[in-house]
Amino acid sequence: VLACTMSMTAVAEQFKIALGGSEGSGQYAVATKFVQELEAHTDDTARLFLNSQLGSEQNTVNDAAIGVLDFSIVAINNITPFSPSVGILTLPYMIQSLDEAIKITQGPEGERLVQNTIRDAGVRIVAWGYSGFRVLSNSKRPVKTLADLKGLVIRVPKNEIMIDTYRSWGINPTPMAWSSLFTALQQKVVDGQDLSLIDIKTSKFDEVQKYLSDIHYNFLLEPMIMSESVFQEQSPADQKAILEAGKLATQYSAKYLVQEEAKAKAELIKRGMEWDEVDETNWIKNATTKVWPKYYDSVGGKDKINTVLRSLNRAEVN
Amino acid sequence: MTETSIVLVLFGSFFVLLLMGAPISISLGVAALASYFYLGENPITFVQIAFTSVGSFPLMALPAFILAGALMEASGISKRLVNLAESFAGPVTGGISAAAVLACMFFGAISGSGPATTAAVGMLMIPAMANRGYDKGYASAVVASAGGLGIIIPPSIPMVIFGISAMGLAVPPEAIEKFGTFQSISISKMFIAGVIPGLVIALSLLVVNYFRCKRLGYKGTDEGWDFKHIARTMRSGFWSALAPLVILGGIYSGFFTPTESAIVAIFYTLFVGAFIHRELTWSAIFRSLETTTWLSGRIMLILFCATVFGRLLIENNIPAIVADSMLSLTDNIYLIWFLIIIFLLFVGMFMETLAAIMILTPVLLPVTYNLGIDPVQFGIVMICCLSIGFATPPLGENLFVASGISKVSLEEITVKALPFTLSSTVAVFVIAYFPEISLYLPRLFGY
Amino acid sequence: MGNKILHFLNDIEGYICRTLLALFVTLLFAQIISREIFGYSIAWTEELSVYMFVWFVYFGACYSARLAAHNRVTFQYKLMPSWLPPILEFITDLIWIAFNFYMVYMSYNFVFYKMNLFWKSQTLGIPMKYIYLILPIAFTLMSLRIIQVNYLKFVKGESVIDPDSQELDKLKSGELEGLNETAKAEGKS
Ligand code: NA
Ligand code: NA
Repeated sequence: VLACTMSMTAVAEQFKIALGGSEGSGQYAVATKFVQELEAHTDDTARLFLNSQLGSEQNTVNDAAIGVLDFSIVAINNITPFSPSVGILTLPYMIQSLDEAIKITQGPEGERLVQNTIRDAGVRIVAWGYSGFRVLSNSKRPVKTLADLKGLVIRVPKNEIMIDTYRSWGINPTPMAWSSLFTALQQKVVDGQDLSLIDIKTSKFDEVQKYLSDIHYNFLLEPMIMSESVFQEQSPADQKAILEAGKLATQYSAKYLVQEEAKAKAELIKRGMEWDEVDETNWIKNATTKVWPKYYDSVGGKDKINTVLRSLNRAEVN
Repeated sequence: MTETSIVLVLFGSFFVLLLMGAPISISLGVAALASYFYLGENPITFVQIAFTSVGSFPLMALPAFILAGALMEASGISKRLVNLAESFAGPVTGGISAAAVLACMFFGAISGSGPATTAAVGMLMIPAMANRGYDKGYASAVVASAGGLGIIIPPSIPMVIFGISAMGLAVPPEAIEKFGTFQSISISKMFIAGVIPGLVIALSLLVVNYFRCKRLGYKGTDEGWDFKHIARTMRSGFWSALAPLVILGGIYSGFFTPTESAIVAIFYTLFVGAFIHRELTWSAIFRSLETTTWLSGRIMLILFCATVFGRLLIENNIPAIVADSMLSLTDNIYLIWFLIIIFLLFVGMFMETLAAIMILTPVLLPVTYNLGIDPVQFGIVMICCLSIGFATPPLGENLFVASGISKVSLEEITVKALPFTLSSTVAVFVIAYFPEISLYLPRLFGY
Repeated sequence: MGNKILHFLNDIEGYICRTLLALFVTLLFAQIISREIFGYSIAWTEELSVYMFVWFVYFGACYSARLAAHNRVTFQYKLMPSWLPPILEFITDLIWIAFNFYMVYMSYNFVFYKMNLFWKSQTLGIPMKYIYLILPIAFTLMSLRIIQVNYLKFVKGESVIDPDSQELDKLKSGELEGLNETAKAEGKS
């Protein structure tokens, strides 16, 4: 009876969730799991808008902040411009394994970032999507050392940190829009690029790329954000249900990643790509000593970085 | 229920404003604003859309192609291309009017616009045809009908707009299950896909031209081919004939995006106009910049308003409703193509091409994808249909231009263009019913 | 002197646009040369040129309003009594101005109150606030241009003819020899 009266008083809502990805993407998996849990525990439901129908990821962050959009799933680097402290998660080699990603985002550091984002950007991170490391692919030769990398033309998105990272490794990467990438690889305008294994598989890059190098400088986090003003309009029970649905979606995302990444790797090797392990000692050294200092200020100081490193039992920077 | 009422508010206010004679852009914008108020939603998203709908790199191809085209006129490249085509006329029946069609194809390969093609070719070819005893009305009709090739043969401003309008569209999940993920449309791919359909339509025009000229007794020159003349126009037109290679070669080889290739074309034209033809003046450069300014300004204002309009359609699930009602009518793909083509030809009679593309793409593309029609092929058919609209009243831009040049009445040209309109329509049906015509070349180029 | 300033102000968007257009076209060309010939990609050119393009577009829309060049569907005017179209044109211009004012209100509100303070452009590092400022500016300016056109039409009795019709008139009067002026027909598609 109590449950019945509760649901009578709460207004059933249909939320809008914006996604950059299409059906079958990791974003889609997180969103559907979230909606499933939401529908199970509230009267609310949600509709997904795929393929950036509601605008680019950065626009959806703005829309959510203003309160004209309820939810959006975006790559973490599209939150950084609105809440710079989140940038700590995008520093090269800050996260070196899925376990570390889970430890940071679900621990006290993650909670601090959630609060910062509410304060700075007016949006609340309700779930973390884990999409794996960007591995390096190219069409020319196996890349196992920094010396192998020399002379390759590598495409990167228009992202300062990624550009700086490649520069620290001794090459000048080519920033290029995603839409022209496939053709550019095919025509050998660029030799290589980096992307998650799952994305390499779904984008069929194996048709134009031969070698894969297992590097771990960039772990893709795709949090699901909610408009804080919309969140505050919800009843306490619904707020609790939303956060709980978010937690379950987060856990589901990690499981989904492990499964799909293994499948993608096997499939790409089966289709004829070569998989190379990389000794990343020098890669890590260059990136952390040359790139990190540039971003100390924007992520909130060296101390914040050391707090995170301590929590992961890693050596601090000085 | 809300869906039907929102359609009434959105389209109702749009058509009322259009009939009152408000600018197309503002009709779209105000209709969208009215719908936001009606739905009780906050229209502040307009601000971001105003910025982001316009602020994209691929879209910069539009002013770049307009500027390149204007500069090519000023540099004497256009003139020489048309002369080159004219020199091939020779002793064939209907030779000079066939050369006019050829000139429109040549010109289409450097220009992205229909009326510009009509103007450039008509200015030289209509008097040339009249000199050889052609009826001026017929001469105008040929050029007005073939001018549409300017947007089918790449480069093409409507293709750029189609690619932009298709960006970020979503298709129903059932369609994805059947036909795979819906990827964004590459403008380069559109540019490759347009080549053969352009040739097919040109061929249909040439066939009709041949028979009509035969009946009208328009013979070629008695002397046969003038090889000296051909050689002369080829020599003088060498740098002009390179222009299409510069534009399309860069795109097809994958070295340049369409935007970049237009930029390269601009500097190529500046070089040829200033140092080889020595015809380019500072005042012509300023005039080209000025023309590009107001043309881009008004097109982009439409784009912003059409984007908000399209957003409302998507948020209210309208494309899916259209698809359902269409499928409830029939699921025969040929019949559906028939309905779509007739509808597009009808729209092309009244509506400005770019505005039509921006408004209709978000509605029709998801629908056709659901039916298994390749998005690129759909784009090509849509652009072919609208290109025919350049030569159909009441809004027939090519008719206006041709009539302006020849001083023949609009009505006369319209009637004399009718057989060409019909033959182009037949060609469009062929292009629609045989997808390979549009899709063979892109596949050959690895798209 | 005063006249010169007035003349300049009358065409100010034209000057701004021509400059922006020339600049971003040259910038993109430099980027292509640098990439293809020197193998060096400049990271910030694409972003800068896109922002210049947006400013170009909105000033261009104002300029287009000054020329009365925004496309309208007008064939139905021929079916109406001759006194009606001028009235309809005036009413639609009022609606247009109202729309512009609402855009000014929203974009001002967005830029100065709603926009995230940290939001900067990715490679240039300019606060997005300044880049978005074009919206309130342009929609204000556009309204002024619409008022100006109506003032010229109804108070001064001048006929403001859009460039498309001007071009056709020139074709009809045989003023154009050769191809140089047909540039204006470009892009009508
Ligand atoms: Na063309
Ligand atoms: Na028409």
